[in-house]
Amino acid sequence: MASADKLINTDVPEKDVFAFHFLQSLSNLRKQNPFDTPDQKNYRVRKIKKAAYVSMARAAGGSSRLWSRALLRRADKDDNKIVRFSRRKWKISSKRRRSNQRAPVVEEAAERLRNLVPGGGGMETSKLMEETAHYIKCLSMQVKVMQCLVDGLSPK
Amino acid sequence: MSSSRRSRQASSSSRISDDQITDLISKLRQSIPEIRQNRRSNTVSASKVLQETCNYIRNLNKEADDLSDRLTQLLESIDPNSPQAAVIRSLING
Repeated sequence: MASADKLINTDVPEKDVFAFHFLQSLSNLRKQNPFDTPDQKNYRVRKIKKAAYVSMARAAGGSSRLWSRALLRRADKDDNKIVRFSRRKWKISSKRRRSNQRAPVVEEAAERLRNLVPGGGGMETSKLMEETAHYIKCLSMQVKVMQCLVDGLSPK
Repeated sequence: MSSSRRSRQASSSSRISDDQITDLISKLRQSIPEIRQNRRSNTVSASKVLQETCNYIRNLNKEADDLSDRLTQLLESIDPNSPQAAVIRSLING
């Protein structure tokens, strides 16, 4: 049953699922770390940002996508550390560039994309395209929900 | 020189061919309506589309940054007795 649920990973991520995870994380953050202490504001901003990305990865089905798996793994590793979603820089080696005489400009653009998509460094190009499309959908959804929350919480 | 030689080269390396990359990029463009542009020319360069995609992701990341910042401020400043606080409680518990 659980595995059957996993297979139903619709391409368009569910807003409600993301919102549910995100609000739960926010609630947990509040308990751990009440927001009325004036210090460490940047730390809290990073925590909230991390909660958003982790919730997005969970809403996308957790480990069923390469990017979400990579994102969750990195978030785990970063726990107890200052959270920075820094992208691993991939240098295009001159050897690699020479071996690819087809379209170096395209390859360079693809390398830049690899730095932006979690786990992108290890993906072959076709997989990278597929994961990128899905990642962008999820990211847009995340931004929309966050905007709704901000609007809903802003004093009228 | 000949196309057959080129395709052999492409398949001998583990890299995908030009045709495949064009196909994939068109798929990518279809799934992201926001970066669909230059309709009149179907042959927007692959690097251009990839570049647009990178910019698009960067913008979304930036928006998420800004929204995290605003959410932090809002959650800090919220009065527990305000209607906004009630909204959060109902969202979290509901």
